[in-house]
Amino acid sequence: MTARRLPILLLLAAGFALLGAGRGIAQDEETAGYSRNGADSCLGCHEDAVTLAVFRTPHAVPSDPDSPFGHGQLQCEACHGPGGAHAGRVRRGQERPAILNFDDDSGYTVEQQNAQCLDCHGDTLAAGWHNGAHPADEVGCADCHNSHAARDPVLTAAGQAEVCFDCHRLQQNAARRPFAHPVADGRMECTSCHAVHGETVAQALAQETVNATCEQCHAEKRGPYLWEHAPVSEDCGLCHDPHGSSHPGMLTRRGPQLCQGCHAQAGHPSVALSADGLPGAVPSRLLLGQNCLNCHSQVHGSNHPSGSRLMR
Amino acid sequence: MTDPGLRPPDPSPWHGMLVLLGCALAAGSAAAQPVVDTSEWKCEFCPFEDGTRSEVTAGLTSVSDDTAFLGDASGLDEEGVYLALDATGSYAAEDYRLRWSAEDLGVDARAAEVEGGSPGRYDYRIAYRELPRRAFITTRTVFVADGDDRLRLPDGYVRAPATGDMSTLAASLVARDIGGDRRRLAVGAGVELVEGLRLSADYRRQEHDGVKIRGGALFTSASLLPLPFDYRTDEAELALAYAGERGRLSLGWYLSDFGNLNESIAWDSPFTTVAGADTLRMARAPDNKFQQLRLSAGLSFPAQRTWLSLSAASGRIEQDQAFLPYTINPDLAAAALPAPNLAGEVDTANYALAITSTAIERVRLRASYRYDERDNRTPQSDWGRVIVDSFASGEVETNRPYSFRRTRLGLEADYDLLESLRVSAGIERREHERDFQEVAEQTEDTGWGRVRWQALPSLQLDARAGSARREIDRYDESLAAFFGQNPLLRKYNLAFRYRRFGDLAIAWAPAELPVSLGLSALLTDDSYTRSELGMTSGDEQLVALDFGWTLSANASVHASAGLDRIESTQRGSQGFGAADWDAAWDDRFLTLAAGFRLREIGENLDLEFDYLRSDGSSELKVGGPLAGAAAFPDIESDWDSLRAGLTWRRSETLSITAELGWQRFETEDWALRNVAPATIPVVLTLGAAPWDEEQFLVTVGARYRFGTAAGR
Repeated sequence: MTARRLPILLLLAAGFALLGAGRGIAQDEETAGYSRNGADSCLGCHEDAVTLAVFRTPHAVPSDPDSPFGHGQLQCEACHGPGGAHAGRVRRGQERPAILNFDDDSGYTVEQQNAQCLDCHGDTLAAGWHNGAHPADEVGCADCHNSHAARDPVLTAAGQAEVCFDCHRLQQNAARRPFAHPVADGRMECTSCHAVHGETVAQALAQETVNATCEQCHAEKRGPYLWEHAPVSEDCGLCHDPHGSSHPGMLTRRGPQLCQGCHAQAGHPSVALSADGLPGAVPSRLLLGQNCLNCHSQVHGSNHPSGSRLMR
Repeated sequence: MTDPGLRPPDPSPWHGMLVLLGCALAAGSAAAQPVVDTSEWKCEFCPFEDGTRSEVTAGLTSVSDDTAFLGDASGLDEEGVYLALDATGSYAAEDYRLRWSAEDLGVDARAAEVEGGSPGRYDYRIAYRELPRRAFITTRTVFVADGDDRLRLPDGYVRAPATGDMSTLAASLVARDIGGDRRRLAVGAGVELVEGLRLSADYRRQEHDGVKIRGGALFTSASLLPLPFDYRTDEAELALAYAGERGRLSLGWYLSDFGNLNESIAWDSPFTTVAGADTLRMARAPDNKFQQLRLSAGLSFPAQRTWLSLSAASGRIEQDQAFLPYTINPDLAAAALPAPNLAGEVDTANYALAITSTAIERVRLRASYRYDERDNRTPQSDWGRVIVDSFASGEVETNRPYSFRRTRLGLEADYDLLESLRVSAGIERREHERDFQEVAEQTEDTGWGRVRWQALPSLQLDARAGSARREIDRYDESLAAFFGQNPLLRKYNLAFRYRRFGDLAIAWAPAELPVSLGLSALLTDDSYTRSELGMTSGDEQLVALDFGWTLSANASVHASAGLDRIESTQRGSQGFGAADWDAAWDDRFLTLAAGFRLREIGENLDLEFDYLRSDGSSELKVGGPLAGAAAFPDIESDWDSLRAGLTWRRSETLSITAELGWQRFETEDWALRNVAPATIPVVLTLGAAPWDEEQFLVTVGARYRFGTAAGR
């Protein structure tokens, strides 16, 4: 199969559009329901530090016309929705009507909560977001982002891993294996490799392929080399586990067995390497030190005219 | 050797995507915005940021020991006292924002960032980060670096056919740590040219230098070299993006330019295995350049509740570094090279499309398509190899520029059977075409089902299970034989594979109790049932548990545990026939973490505590009549980490901080244990020892807040 199947996808797109034709969402023309005085109505009660911190964020820049606090914008109610009823008078014993909040107990669905964010950020994010894995898992924007924090933790190297690991527990454990990228230490971001707002790459990778993602930092592996090692040019993940490993170099398995999974030439590549090759018996050059890489050290490729066996 | 089957690329994807984009832009309608009279919304109580706000934390950190593993990435890898200096700050004016931060300024893991601009009009960002990686501090070598491209033996070094006969070896060893340092500078800016149209430019420079271990072969012997390296990577990105009511469209150019300051490494051979081969040389990673044009778009059709993402990228990798001669050995008559340089050129193409729709009530549909191509256009030539600077092979070999094409088509659907029950299913087909390899075409079909059940308001279960079957058109045994491979071998990425997989997530967070409990599990079971030799199975079982208890607004406890098991089996043939040995790896990993947070004890004291234990073990069993009687000892790693932090808020602006840390890391590894430089007769190693490290950290400091905007 090649790119010729793209037209199928175009037909599917048209199909989806037809399915939805005639049943568009009712447009919310309602203008009532908003508070009389905007943020001033809210701040009469909500004057705690957590709430007020929003005024240190990009959401509260009066000179930015796109900011919720820009001229003519809806201030707190831009995100929390119409607050007229919530801010209005209530009779003794009557429960104050709820306003949209961004947590599990808010009474609003995740989709409704996310719609508030996408109302402004949708022009750049909506398509990628809906096509990614997170909405299928009912992840809310507020599960990762704290829009009231002066500095949203998920946007910092130190804070991001903690946010992501809150759901991705298996990756957190992998990051604690002895050989791993320094993500758990807060020295590298998950977003160095992953584009978390979705889009079109498997595993939400930051670049178009696994290799292109790795080569952002490991550009020396890119080649092309005169003598290529076929799996290297294809997918770094064939030999490495980027989330962490018990083996040096984040290898999925250790040499020489890892190499022997693909190399069975007559002679030393096929030798059954046992514990008889450890120190104390007959120390084996095929087993100890860098094992196969003692000699075939140019495992990512060689640009030497005599390097066809990846030894030069 | 010729390309056995790749067809010329179909030019239609770009055309198709542009047509689709045009249709989409022509369709749909903008969502109506609520009209609200905000003329009386004065925002008089809004404490808009104005002025400066800064926070500086300064103190000293005492580190008890030199370490490699424990000090990795933190910069705290040497015994001593370090300046602990962090700072953050901001400045705000009516239409301007500036924010800066700096952390770990006193150590080699320092980072700093400045970003600012006028929101909605322009912005800029400058960031710098150092990342020190440490591998070994137990390594010793006889080699003396003479620049970064030459390793010499010390004067008077006694060379010999075997390490045991190098009588001056022990006296010549000097310590040489293994590790590297990355320094990354990023500069970027963006400007909104007109409403919705943004131009952005980014530049990043990454410098990476240090010493790594590299094997240098001489016939049947080898030396592990402490290889100095010095890399530079420059990246540039230019993008023009339009965002409107219906979505966004972005056109960009990306450059990644890698430079290696050393084209080769030459070293004196400590072995006399081959007469005349006294100085040896190998090539280093060549300079290369990657450029890519990118188009991406995201379109929303709100009325149809449909979203479409598409991307197209066309790139080229170039590498044209001059070749070294066949050998550095002057005693060998060097033949002329067929070309002075590679003229390497790889064209890449990536197209993708994804559509998601919730147009049908209670149904979510998603379709995705992806095409990735690596077209290696590097010319082929015939080469006459000199075997490790020792002998002319007498053979002619042709380089093989590998190319591939991959496609993936996926369809999935969610259906809300009940308000609390969602069922999902998906199918996917992957196709892969290659050249110059044993398998030219392979397909993998995957199917899965999923149930997501909100059993109680506080209890959610999510389970998925599926299988995947990878088929190959044929395994070209004649090609394998050409490479000298045992014809029974099936390389694991080219072999038939049947995979079963499943995952499970349970989350329990009762509203009436201040606790939460979570379980995550992943199972993968791979069978290579048609492989006589090579990998025959691979299994993963990963489980994670987490627990949280919020005792009050100021007190919380957390705990987590993880158990990972990764197994694989394979078969080999020492006799170059049927399988006569087998091997099985069994990696296990146990993680335990716990801690608590106490805020505002006596109103001005915060206390936090974290403990982490990570135990790993790897068992290798080699069986069969040729396997030998001795068993491999398990590879083990034990890592304990404990941290306690105390903050005393002396006033609104001043806090005193203290942090105590203790870490221990012990390993057992048969590949390193008792492998001194001379242990292997034909390999001169660096004598790297298994890690056995312990480290105490004490930090005392003060945090001071100031600025015209502080305290509001």
